[in-house]
Amino acid sequence: MADTSTARNRIAWIVLAVLVLGAVAFSLWPRPGADSVAGRTRSLAREFRCVDCEGLSVADSQTASARAARVEIRRRLEAGESEAEVRAYFVDLYGESVLLKPEGTGIGLVVWALPVVAVILAGAGIVVAVRRGRRTPRLRATDEDEALVARALGAEHGTDDRADDGDER
Amino acid sequence: MRVRVRAVAVGVAVVLVGLAVVLALNVGRDPRADANRSQLLGQPSPTYDLETLDGAPVSDESQIGRTVVVNFWNSWCIPCEQEHDALVAWWAANRDDDAVTMLGIVREDTRRAVERYVRDEDVTWPVAMDPGGRAALAFGTRGQPETYVISPSGVVVASQYGPVTVANLDDMVAAAERVG
Amino acid sequence: MESAIGVLAIAIGAGASIVGIASLLLGLRRSDDRLLATGRRCVLAVLLASILAVGVMEWALITHDFSIRYVAENNARSTPLLFTVTGLWAALEGSILLWVLILAVYIALTVRHFRDRASEPLVVWATIVMLGVSLFFFLLVLGPANPFELTPGGAPVDGRGPNPLLQNHPLMAFHPPMLYLGYVGFTVPFAFAMASLITGSVGEGWLADTRRTTLVAWGFLSLGIVLGAWWSYEVLGWGGYWAWDPVENASLLPWLTATAFIHSVMVQERRAMLRVWNLSLVIATFCLTILGTFLTRSGVVNSVHAFSQSSIGGWLLAFLALSAGSGLALIAWRGDRLRAPGRIDSALSREAFFLGNNLLFVAFAFVVLLGTVFPLIAEAVQGTQLSVGEPYFDRMTVPLGLALLFLMAVAPVLPWRAASGEVLRRRLLVPAWIGGALFVATLVFLARSLPTALAFGLGAFTISAIVQETWRTVRARSRADAVGRGRAAWRTLASNPRRYGGLTVHIGVVCIAVAIAASNTFATKAEIRLRRDASVTVDGYRFTYEGSRTTRSAQKTTVSADVRIERGDRDLGTYAPSVSTFPNSNQAIGTPSVRTGLTTDVYLTLVSSPNARGRITLGVSVFPLVVWIWIGGALIGLGTAVALVPARTRRVLPESTPAPVEEPV
Repeated sequence: MADTSTARNRIAWIVLAVLVLGAVAFSLWPRPGADSVAGRTRSLAREFRCVDCEGLSVADSQTASARAARVEIRRRLEAGESEAEVRAYFVDLYGESVLLKPEGTGIGLVVWALPVVAVILAGAGIVVAVRRGRRTPRLRATDEDEALVARALGAEHGTDDRADDGDER
Repeated sequence: MRVRVRAVAVGVAVVLVGLAVVLALNVGRDPRADANRSQLLGQPSPTYDLETLDGAPVSDESQIGRTVVVNFWNSWCIPCEQEHDALVAWWAANRDDDAVTMLGIVREDTRRAVERYVRDEDVTWPVAMDPGGRAALAFGTRGQPETYVISPSGVVVASQYGPVTVANLDDMVAAAERVG
Repeated sequence: MESAIGVLAIAIGAGASIVGIASLLLGLRRSDDRLLATGRRCVLAVLLASILAVGVMEWALITHDFSIRYVAENNARSTPLLFTVTGLWAALEGSILLWVLILAVYIALTVRHFRDRASEPLVVWATIVMLGVSLFFFLLVLGPANPFELTPGGAPVDGRGPNPLLQNHPLMAFHPPMLYLGYVGFTVPFAFAMASLITGSVGEGWLADTRRTTLVAWGFLSLGIVLGAWWSYEVLGWGGYWAWDPVENASLLPWLTATAFIHSVMVQERRAMLRVWNLSLVIATFCLTILGTFLTRSGVVNSVHAFSQSSIGGWLLAFLALSAGSGLALIAWRGDRLRAPGRIDSALSREAFFLGNNLLFVAFAFVVLLGTVFPLIAEAVQGTQLSVGEPYFDRMTVPLGLALLFLMAVAPVLPWRAASGEVLRRRLLVPAWIGGALFVATLVFLARSLPTALAFGLGAFTISAIVQETWRTVRARSRADAVGRGRAAWRTLASNPRRYGGLTVHIGVVCIAVAIAASNTFATKAEIRLRRDASVTVDGYRFTYEGSRTTRSAQKTTVSADVRIERGDRDLGTYAPSVSTFPNSNQAIGTPSVRTGLTTDVYLTLVSSPNARGRITLGVSVFPLVVWIWIGGALIGLGTAVALVPARTRRVLPESTPAPVEEPV
């Protein structure tokens, strides 16, 4: 009885995994036909800072200059320029600070790579520490620690800490 | 364990000191100061093809051979009002000089408001609307007033973000004339 | 006159802080209870002084006393009463004064709370640290940010009035105070963390002592952030609620580390692990509030909200260096005492997931901090001008946010120490299927956007896991206590408000995540030009321009356009986006008009007022589910409040002792 329900449970999980992976594959499948110019304009406009407003992109701003920039992006894309060429045009005009997303070269690489490296290192560090912790014998709480905990719990009016999260049985 | 806590603390301290130094360097500095240096200096003049309020065509090509002061402005901006007297004075001194000219290009304003301002405030130099803001974009303007000086050969020689004075207009024009 | 009283009050506050610190230090040294009592009375003096200072400032604002420069610059005779009162936090000096008041209230409440343990070194040291912080802020308003400075050349006839953006919406009355209540509240856990390091009582005592205050501060900060987003949505008119502006980032940073702390603190409480880590998180949270204040108040970064430059930057930076430096030094000094007695037994345990949660939250904070200060770093290192904006933050934080959503779905079901994979597979099957189904349906039918589908799917996973777990518990309790489901539900909640408050917060967070994903992915934006009585249909909504009005008051001149919105045959009413000009500003301020619905918001802005031919240009956006961000914010507030309620013990129940209930963790 238990065996069959375990087996059924396992099958349900496998089916779910297959469905989810299938949907992911479906979403990543290249779609026929390129994106529309309007769509490309919109996504590119999000990458440029609106130069006469504070902290908004060209896509979000309603100033005349942002509007002119959107028109220019569209005109250039329609003329067959690539996204990189449009970016280069704006960088030539305003300098690199016009890009809201720093390019992944030179010093700009730091802002992209540093968090990723840090997360990987920290994650690895945690895994190593946990593994090492599991090899060493369990430390016992000192009397001082015990006293502190007892006092702390006593000070917590009532027992919400004790009542908290009854252990799994 | 003890060594590790200390080592990490020292590492964090080093990073924080670096950050503090960077932040301290920036205290009291206008974050926009450098961003407002034009990228166009030394470059050929951007193209523009406009029509003045009187209906005369004006473009970068039609101005070749003269030093051109291009002033982006509008009727509602307060710094534009501040530089207005300087522009009037400079124009009065230079309007008869065929080697230099000035062009006001309107940034983000309506024709009605501009025409009223031109009439009421003695704007006697050519002023052109900028439909769609294309000229403002081509010059890479970030606001108004902004002033660019283009040499007779069509090179952007100087630029000024914010109000100008007669003296710095003269300096910029002199620089443009030296370039030729 | 008022100016003199105000300065005097601040000076008294600063003096009381100094006297308090000195007598507490001395009292501790000589074990002299009378000196300690004097120190505590100084706390009362600090509170009264700050109340007096704020009272004088409010009085000066309400009576339009323009002889005080701050009043002349942030108030005008025409300013409505509400915005006169909120003038206190409309600019730098006043907002620091508000900060001082809130800090004084927190200190006084904390000292009152610990009156029975007043001579304990931990409490005394914590009071000293808090008074040190208050001394710093009193010095700020006494020196570089003095709000009571006189107007040079005497009082003008009328003042300049507040910044137009700050006198345009009643939310201004709530958002900044909430944010400060959050920011400032973290001073208390910081003080206790420092005190525990100084006294060497680095066990779990300080945690339990400050758990509630931390939670209160966290709740206020969360509300403040959500209200700020709402203000931005209702006032700024670009249709967004979050722009990764430095000021917004500054409020998010301490929130992220505080959230990490609220989770990891449970590991320390239960398992006595992560002591160094938790101390670091608390100290980091406090330092980040100061860093945020520095970034936004010193003018080093560009921002919509940044106040004008002032010399306050150097002071804040020095204080930041002092706080971070002393915190780090203390941790390094006490490092030997901080060894963790516990260990993680299994990767499939609550504590392991909390570690993951902490890694992600701190990584999130790191990304936000790096992105915010990176332009300064690039400039200092290489002299290049760079911007870091929305596309960067979106790209980096969305994966972190989604990973956090996943942890949020699974962790509450996990037990401490170790779970059996078998039990877990059973418990999570139904929620996982619900989430998976929504994920697949979103990808197939709605949008081929993985992040959006993941947000929807993980959101559904989380909520159904919470509902299922709660339901299981209530059913078990109902059987064990032999009471009806309703009473059982009440008892379950009352027995562990901390858990169910936390889960309510989780549901609020899911609402916000889903709403952000939906409003970004399925938004429609358009710009339409309309003659009078003409209509245009956008995304199924029909917009008819019915005419415009101009209203003039001394405060502002407003042009508003009446636009009727219809969907099919249903009339959704008339909305009036407007543009206002204020006498003290040359820039017109647009005010959007939003038709809020449970599923869809219609967001109207007046891009240009009627031209010569009477045509207007309207910005029209249709955003789905935005209201759920605000609902989620309310749930977070509610959940925090529930979590603060002390647990009701079951021992008081009459009849026989209840059988042990299988309560999920």
